[in-house]
Amino acid sequence: MEFPDYEGILVNSLPQSNLTSTKIAKESRKKILIISNKAKTSHVGSSLSVIDILSVLYSGAANISKDTIESKTRDVIILSKGHASLALYSVLTIAGFLPEHSLDNYCSNGALLGGHVTSKENSGVELSTGSLGHGLPYGLGIALSRKNYGLGGRIFVIISDGECNEGTTWESALIANQHGLNNLIVIIDRNSIQSLDFTENTLKLEPLEDKWKSFGWNTKQISGHDHQMIRNVLELNSSQAGPLCVIANTIKGKGVSFMENSVLWHYKFPDNEQLVMALTELDLNE
Amino acid sequence: MREQFTKTLFEHAKSNPNIVLITGDLGFGLFEPFSQTLPKQFINSGINEQSMMGMAAGYASTGKRVFVYSIANFVTLRCLEQIRNNISLMNNSVVIVGVGGGYDYGSQGYTHHALEDIAVMRSIPNIEILVPADSFETRELTSYLALTERPSYLRLEKSTSQEFHNNELVMLPGKINEIISGEHGTLIFSGSIGDIALQAAKKLNDMRFFVSVASLSFVTNIDSTYLKLACKKGPIVIIEEHSMIGGVGSAILEKLNQLSLVARVGIIGSSQNNLSEIGDKQYLRKQNGLTIDNIILRFKALVGALN
Repeated sequence: MEFPDYEGILVNSLPQSNLTSTKIAKESRKKILIISNKAKTSHVGSSLSVIDILSVLYSGAANISKDTIESKTRDVIILSKGHASLALYSVLTIAGFLPEHSLDNYCSNGALLGGHVTSKENSGVELSTGSLGHGLPYGLGIALSRKNYGLGGRIFVIISDGECNEGTTWESALIANQHGLNNLIVIIDRNSIQSLDFTENTLKLEPLEDKWKSFGWNTKQISGHDHQMIRNVLELNSSQAGPLCVIANTIKGKGVSFMENSVLWHYKFPDNEQLVMALTELDLNE
Repeated sequence: MREQFTKTLFEHAKSNPNIVLITGDLGFGLFEPFSQTLPKQFINSGINEQSMMGMAAGYASTGKRVFVYSIANFVTLRCLEQIRNNISLMNNSVVIVGVGGGYDYGSQGYTHHALEDIAVMRSIPNIEILVPADSFETRELTSYLALTERPSYLRLEKSTSQEFHNNELVMLPGKINEIISGEHGTLIFSGSIGDIALQAAKKLNDMRFFVSVASLSFVTNIDSTYLKLACKKGPIVIIEEHSMIGGVGSAILEKLNQLSLVARVGIIGSSQNNLSEIGDKQYLRKQNGLTIDNIILRFKALVGALN
């Protein structure tokens, strides 16, 4: 089939005042699909599961904007599941943190942006990630320093449920509790699928909330696709004593029915036909 | 050395609140003055080197100069990817401080010996590696690290076998410090192993071979001027309490290669013969080829003086 020209429907950047999280999420989902089709890159499912969380954070739930980027007391967002770079980059270009056309040559030679999250100066990307289990210790370090030096701001670290296989996740859970870091919020993208299989077939994580609770953390379980719920839960932590773990129940591949809840879409990119189907479905569901 | 390190860092930290010391639950009887006087600048992370290193990097990203202390293996090999991704790649101002270089932990066994740390750390870009040989070098290098910002690795030994310098020592970044000078060749050492280098030089002297002996502390920033002169003079024997693979000897060979210098070079490093061998530092040095005799033999072979 003939490959349609999608440049017209891509929203590269919107004036920030007009941005709702719903709008960002919708445009980002399209962008993720179009760019992964074009660049033939993987991790589409992982990007679609986390996109609502990122959209809510970058549309005002977190105190971070292009204007406050140099502030030492602004909120910090770390995407530890660096393989969902397309999700983060889509949000950052749409929300105006990254130049408008940054994703046009995604993953190609000499491009600004690649398949795993790479920190670029003043882009709102705090840490280069990709190897799992690195974001939480790093975010913990920022949170501890802020606390020790009396600086405000919250540190949001988004991890995958697969990252709960990593020892550093639990080491850091111990350390954060020890230091009573109520400025640290972990959001687990609980899509229940890791690289080769469902998480529970690989290493049983349940009861996941109890595990975090037993490490001394405050916990909340929400739908990771319900923007209002995400927004509400992120306002909680300031009054609490210790760190907060939000288990955001999500669906891998969310928004595109044939991609949903499937290991396959950890790896596959949509071909032209699938892209048309996916975009049509997203438009129908507006 | 570790006492000197702690004392020097403490002095800097008192006047600079941005200096932070994080330990991996080690330093009993060492850090108490620091932790009691400057509790806000001291963190015991617990036993979790990987998370400790990631945390140190994040902490440093807020504009702090973070020193992370543990046994040399634990603070390099155990958390190597954190060093690579969170410190080197992100250019965070962390000083990794490894105590127990070489066979320092002696009969505590191989799990505590640091014989690959320099090799591994040298392969990570953007990390400056510093190896002091005595308490004066430790003082100078710790001050240097407290006043600069680069990601670094400081390789310490527990105590010094002997002092090579005196209170007057001033170290210039990247400069090799010559301790004695001779005209027939050069012995270059890193760390406290300089004691056997000096003894070997004395014996060579008795055999009418007059050699220079020099301490190399800046492993990633090697003194080209000194090497050029040493090559002209005669053979160079490098002595290090580290694996022969990838250590200071390799660093010098690479530098010579880069400078296109022709040289006669020998490396006296640990042969790592029997990894399970038990014994003290002196014993393990001998068992692994780090001896005065081997230095002399190697030098004589290089000058063609062996029968």
